[in-house]
Amino acid sequence: MSKAIFEEFDGYQDIVDEIDFSRRRGVDYTVYRDSVSRQIDLLHPRRITLRVADIRDETASTKTLRFVAQDGYLPPFLAGQYIAIFVDVAGVRTSRPYSISSPPNQTGYYEITVRRVQEGRVSNYLLDELRRGDILEASGPSGHFYHNPVFHDPTMVCLAGGSGVTPFVSMVREIVECGPDRTLFLIYGNKTLDEAIFHDELSRMSDRFRHITYAPVIEDPLEGYDGATGLMTGQLIQEIIGGPADKTFYLCGPQGMYDFCVPELLTMGVPPRKIRREIYGPPARIWEDPAWPREIHAEDRFRVRVAGGTPIDARAGEPLLTALERAGLRVPSLCRSGECSMCRVKIRSGKVFQPAGIPVRKSDRQFGYVHACVSYPLTDLEILI
Amino acid sequence: METYDAVVIGAGNGGLTAAAGLAQKGLHVLLLERHNIPGGCATSFCRGRFEFEVALHQLSGMGTTEKPGPLRMLLYSLGVLDDLEFVEMKDLYSVAMPDGFRLTLKADRDQVISELAQRFPHETAAIHRFFDLAYAYANQMLAAFFFKDPSPSREKYPVLYSHAFKPASEILDEIFTDPMLKGLLSVYWGYLGLPPNRLSFAYLAMLFFVYIEFKPFHIKGGSQALSNALANRFLSNGGTVRFNCGAKRIIVENGSVQGVETEDGDRIQTRYVVSNASQVTTYAQLMDREAVPDHALTEMGGRSLSPSAFTLFVGFDCGPEALGITETTNFLIDSFQFDDRIFNRMRSLGITDETMVLSCYDVADPDFSPPGACQANIVTLKYGEPWMHIPPTRYHRVKFQCAEAMLRRVEAIFPNVRAHIEELEAATPLTHMRYLGHPEGAIYGFEQYTKDAMFFQPGRFAPIEGLFFASGRIGDCGFQPTLHAGMSAAKSILKKLGAA
Repeated sequence: MSKAIFEEFDGYQDIVDEIDFSRRRGVDYTVYRDSVSRQIDLLHPRRITLRVADIRDETASTKTLRFVAQDGYLPPFLAGQYIAIFVDVAGVRTSRPYSISSPPNQTGYYEITVRRVQEGRVSNYLLDELRRGDILEASGPSGHFYHNPVFHDPTMVCLAGGSGVTPFVSMVREIVECGPDRTLFLIYGNKTLDEAIFHDELSRMSDRFRHITYAPVIEDPLEGYDGATGLMTGQLIQEIIGGPADKTFYLCGPQGMYDFCVPELLTMGVPPRKIRREIYGPPARIWEDPAWPREIHAEDRFRVRVAGGTPIDARAGEPLLTALERAGLRVPSLCRSGECSMCRVKIRSGKVFQPAGIPVRKSDRQFGYVHACVSYPLTDLEILI
Repeated sequence: METYDAVVIGAGNGGLTAAAGLAQKGLHVLLLERHNIPGGCATSFCRGRFEFEVALHQLSGMGTTEKPGPLRMLLYSLGVLDDLEFVEMKDLYSVAMPDGFRLTLKADRDQVISELAQRFPHETAAIHRFFDLAYAYANQMLAAFFFKDPSPSREKYPVLYSHAFKPASEILDEIFTDPMLKGLLSVYWGYLGLPPNRLSFAYLAMLFFVYIEFKPFHIKGGSQALSNALANRFLSNGGTVRFNCGAKRIIVENGSVQGVETEDGDRIQTRYVVSNASQVTTYAQLMDREAVPDHALTEMGGRSLSPSAFTLFVGFDCGPEALGITETTNFLIDSFQFDDRIFNRMRSLGITDETMVLSCYDVADPDFSPPGACQANIVTLKYGEPWMHIPPTRYHRVKFQCAEAMLRRVEAIFPNVRAHIEELEAATPLTHMRYLGHPEGAIYGFEQYTKDAMFFQPGRFAPIEGLFFASGRIGDCGFQPTLHAGMSAAKSILKKLGAA
């Protein structure tokens, strides 16, 4: 073979010498092996194995579950983040996201606080079946609902409804225990005072710490209750927090609360960029969505074929993800609210209903990808996981 | 056991074109991807109402319909051109400094020269000489290698023979006296990861040549649109893709590929594997030690891992004009000291006077972000190693501190940014490591010293029968080279099968 032309380029011999030197003093890359996953698992493990260390009653319908890591290590999280808990309920493997209610400085355990949901298969299982010592699988901590000091104001106004208080409890505890320079207002709406989770602890902290203000708002108060009542109106919020300037607003609760509170905040003059909403599961009663096609009923059944396999049964009124899980198919999932994109699947034929405002990538829409946790079959489907 | 003609490991740019190229020729191909979405670096993510572009700053090699570049031709041959819309960027780049200095170079040779000559009249002749030289180099390089001249010689290609292995700063020092001008012409070092005193002139010349001749581009919907289009074409040509399923092991017997074992535990029979994973991962993790010849490890050991990056993704509640951003590609710099001191900065956690690139795609494509909003991708190069020593419990704090420091640098040049932030996400070297699986989060693969140029390394070839590489680590890094690399790997396999 004739000489390659680059061997005649000026400086060729110097480079040959340099290569020779660098190989003699080279890196032994065989030691890298699984270094990437070992490093990443410290922060973002795909799965962690948890053991139930304690179960505490909070209210009549709510319990706090304390988990420790089976292998002794829990990845760090930011107050406000959640973990997805994986369970087998009646032979179906599924998961639900739960905000961590313990503070991030507590690295020995995670706590989640679970409220009973009507027909909530997973919440019922966690509340009724789970025992101390049981082992569960969970995702690593995830989610974007946390105080980001780079662009959020040091004064946080948190609006919670029902079990939506849990991420804020983690935040309050962190502020109290670690003392970051932050002021937090927590306005917490419930039907009755009995339903207010962490009411005693939050009241105590509010009394004791100047920079923590806790204000329960009760829709149907008992006689003798002297706190705020009714709905979380802009007027009520302003009475508690003063003006909206230099404050960032965080909302966590059911859709109805967002529908009511966000316009109230905008009317108060809060810029939209200062309003942050936690995701809160798929919409209940999707068939009542104004854009839902009238000719389709919640109970209508369709056949879903996954990558040419045996067709499975799916109901129009339930998320595609639920049908896939019931059929025993493994679909990754995390937030189950349309946000995290883990359950991205391709619709190869057929049609699904997707509520407005779900963050799906533009080109995913172009090529027929949907988030299975907030997609509802409207026809028979062929999909690719 | 399932059998495929070829298995492609990883659906990054290289894996996607390899898979699409093979499936197009009727091969039965399996594409494995650990993540739930194709693209690798070429991807996007959603926060609030924004979809953030992750990696693509300026796509090279596209050219126009009338004057197509090599990348446009590749995408045409793969049948994805009609699924995509490309946006031409008018600016090559803009350089901005905190003292108010601004200079914008348009993606046109005459305009670049006249703009620079106007700012540096005493260097006018030198400016002409520099671009003449860069173009002469590029044209001679293409004639000799791209068009494969059968009888090249020093007489035919004097600039190629004399300049190919010279560092960029040596040429700049020879031609110019003004240090500022030298700095302005070497900011593209950031796209390659080495300071100009270590970077070969060849790279700098080729970058100017391809960006000016074929123009820098962006893609509607971002680089994810390209990844999705390639994956879609692969599927429609009968390819099989498995997301959420990486490769665990490449099975090699007697020096040739026999199959692949997936993370799910399936064993796939195949004679051909294209690895879009790095050679480090492929040799050290996916293959048994005895299956890898020593000389492959020795060769790899002579190369070093590139920097990773610290990136801010910022969504603003206003258009770019309200922020004072008037160009798509902005190099934000404090000084023109582009030398070995850069390594010290890249090896430290803190952000003080780093060179940063701020890309605001909305300048070229007003539809990129939602109406009335815009986004910026701000990146600076950082080695991954220091990040690997941060205790996990301090990781978020350090990440926020670096994000804050970076934002302050941006504020020094565009003072209004902070008041308009609606979404902000930071990616550290560990984030790149997490999503790309690259050792030390290296975003440019191996460092691109002259000794590591295509001439001196095995490229897509492995000393194992049936194994080919397709990634930014087999030669030049970046979108265009990587997309071509995958196609080259596909062609090598087709040639072996006599199907080319």
